[in-house]
Amino acid sequence: MNAFIDFIMGPMVWIAFLIFILGLIFKLVIIIKDVNDRESYIYSYLTLKHSLRSIFAWLIPFFPQSTKQSPVFYSISYIFHLLLFIVPIFLMSHIVLVNEAFQVSWVALDDGLADILTLVVIIALVFFAIRRYTVPEVKYLTSYKDYILILIIALPFITGFLAYHQFFLYKAMVIAHVISGEIMLILIPFSRFSHMIVAPLTRAYMGSEFGNVRHAKDW
Amino acid sequence: MKPWKRKSINRETKMKQKVIFMGFILFLFTAVVAFSNTELERLDNSVFEKPHRPGAVFEHDDHNEMAEIDDCAVCHHVYENKKLVEDESSEDSFCSDCHFLKANQENLISLEVAYHKQCRDCHFEENKGPVLCGECHIKE
Amino acid sequence: MSNDMEIKDKPSVVKEKNTDEAVEAGLAKLTPERIKNTINQVLQKETGPRFKAYVETCMHCGLCAEACLYFLSNDRDPSYSPAGKVKQTIWEMLDKKGEVSIEFLRRAVHIAHTECNVCKRCSMYCPFGIDIAYLMLMVRRICHKLEITPLYIQDTVNSHSATMNQMWVKEDEWIDTLQWQEEDAREEFEDLRIPLDKEGADIMYSVIAPEPKFQAGLLYQAATIMHAAGISWTMPSSPGWDNSNMAMFTGDNEISGRIARAFYETAARLKVKKIVMGECGHAFRSTYDVGNRWIGWAMPPFEVVHALEFYHELLTSGRITIAEKFKKTVTLHDPCNVSRGRGLHDMAREVTNMLCESFIDMTPNREHNFCCGAGGGVINCGPPYKGERMINNKFKAEQLKATGAEVLIAPCHNCHSGLEDIVHHYDLNMEVKFLGDIIYETMEKKIYKPGD
Repeated sequence: MNAFIDFIMGPMVWIAFLIFILGLIFKLVIIIKDVNDRESYIYSYLTLKHSLRSIFAWLIPFFPQSTKQSPVFYSISYIFHLLLFIVPIFLMSHIVLVNEAFQVSWVALDDGLADILTLVVIIALVFFAIRRYTVPEVKYLTSYKDYILILIIALPFITGFLAYHQFFLYKAMVIAHVISGEIMLILIPFSRFSHMIVAPLTRAYMGSEFGNVRHAKDW
Repeated sequence: MKPWKRKSINRETKMKQKVIFMGFILFLFTAVVAFSNTELERLDNSVFEKPHRPGAVFEHDDHNEMAEIDDCAVCHHVYENKKLVEDESSEDSFCSDCHFLKANQENLISLEVAYHKQCRDCHFEENKGPVLCGECHIKE
Repeated sequence: MSNDMEIKDKPSVVKEKNTDEAVEAGLAKLTPERIKNTINQVLQKETGPRFKAYVETCMHCGLCAEACLYFLSNDRDPSYSPAGKVKQTIWEMLDKKGEVSIEFLRRAVHIAHTECNVCKRCSMYCPFGIDIAYLMLMVRRICHKLEITPLYIQDTVNSHSATMNQMWVKEDEWIDTLQWQEEDAREEFEDLRIPLDKEGADIMYSVIAPEPKFQAGLLYQAATIMHAAGISWTMPSSPGWDNSNMAMFTGDNEISGRIARAFYETAARLKVKKIVMGECGHAFRSTYDVGNRWIGWAMPPFEVVHALEFYHELLTSGRITIAEKFKKTVTLHDPCNVSRGRGLHDMAREVTNMLCESFIDMTPNREHNFCCGAGGGVINCGPPYKGERMINNKFKAEQLKATGAEVLIAPCHNCHSGLEDIVHHYDLNMEVKFLGDIIYETMEKKIYKPGD
């Protein structure tokens, strides 16, 4: 059993992170290559200034009109996306492991706080799932795949929460936590989670079209 | 025969009852001890200023018996100039004498990392024993 | 909007998804193989990473719904939401690898041509900036290649193809109309000319074919404004005078490109400094944003100015002076192609305020204004779809009614026609006007003498 744990907490972590990072880089390279080969006109319109203008406008909470019209969704979405990064990166247990492996460490969240934030992430995901099921215009677009995406993100947080509290089946829970986290990382480049890097690009293009050609705001 | 209909109890039965009662008390006592916080033998973590986790559960003698470790130096090692000194052991000193709370030039391995690595690396190598955080840092 | 403002559907209009004979005749000729090959050819060969990013990145969040006039007008029916329309068209085409049914295509052509104005409002409500209008235009492109484009709009494209104008206007009719308007206008301004083919003029004034066909008064007005302002201008006598481009909206990109090329070449032949477009939105989109790309220009090879911007220049420079401001209360509809498409909304307000005494803005406005419900080729699909269009524009009617204005300014032909339909259908009791109408009414009728 320890050999298995050693694998999922050792080489498998490397594999997951490499696939995650190289996958995203690969995706980016493919997009750039495709743009060069097939849609190089994009460069005629893309400007750094207007790209950043649009991206930043959309990063400011409740600045774009759309965000003002759906305040509940956006509030939860903002918090969710922030915590999705903050909680795992600043979780003490994770930092301890990184420190043992690489002798680097950084400031950690208080465990109690991290615990609450984890619950917040889970609640946000439950909200997304309920919204998918109840809001007609969202339900219309939803297929089982959308719930699977929610589940993929939810699992590492749920298992992490349960493992931390050592409620039951501790060992199984940690193993599930590690594996589900790795699955999540591996799937990012190959699923719609790749909006992590693609959305800034589509935003940049739309921002450039609006700023550069249309002389209008796109938020 | 229906016991609750009996009117008198003989001596033998009385004796049995006493034994059962004493046994029950003993069981309760051990149970209380077993489930109380003080039951698990844990590493002394008082040197840490604000420990985030309860001290790791570690029963020194049982561990060594099970692991068949006779040589103290297997764990209680001695390093000089960052080189392991063979045939010397350090069971008379505290781990924290050499491994400081924070890693520094003198010793790159902090106390926390030293503990974690000392236990886990061996458990991984031997493919035995606990390796996950909560397997040693059991909730109090 | 409060309840007393609520606009009631007319009971006489029964909503049904219409079709027309061109669509049906086209569908009847299709074979599964042709459908599959055409769809795959367009989706694989005519798109690129942009299309891929759009379809692979959409998180199905539904936030675009709030942006769409059709969704809001149809009691938030999700099949009218922007992403809902993509789901019913592009997603399924991709899922089934082009193997879709005739029934599916009947629905797809209906959605892409009559339930989306490609106004791009939804792009401003998508956190990722996905260009849903582009996806709808891709569906229209497929419909075009399958020859199932709705009858009336296809007829305008046929006209473009044969005559280089949208309305089958013959060359002599065009010149006759201009001369007729010139003659009429000379009764008001004795030296007025509509100079044809004047090489080296400062400005080429360009209109859409419906103006000579049945709104010749607009040519009259434009000529008087040009005259009063003392502009060195000209209009081309040859094909290329029509700046409209319906092929752009049917996905007939080849003809769309021909139209744009003929247009710029006409301007080049006349050696003008810039092109002023009449009050038309889609024509401006074609010459300023779309047509130029198809023939290889990142930006238009000429300075192309929408009437709105031109009027602004005339008014601020004092070339046109206003005798007496327009009295009635006015509101302004921002056409997608000049506000969201060119950022002229603030200028439009300045012009309106310079011309009119009391201006009431509508909400939402500027880039966020709701679509007129007619543009993007929707009104051009013609009478078979008008009943549906009126229901699909209900929310727009509410927005208009809430202003309480007497006059509705719409500096765009498509918007103008569509809004007029809305005003009549919903009994809004508003007068729909172009900015040019108001300028003509309010300006000092200076008689320009050469040398002034």
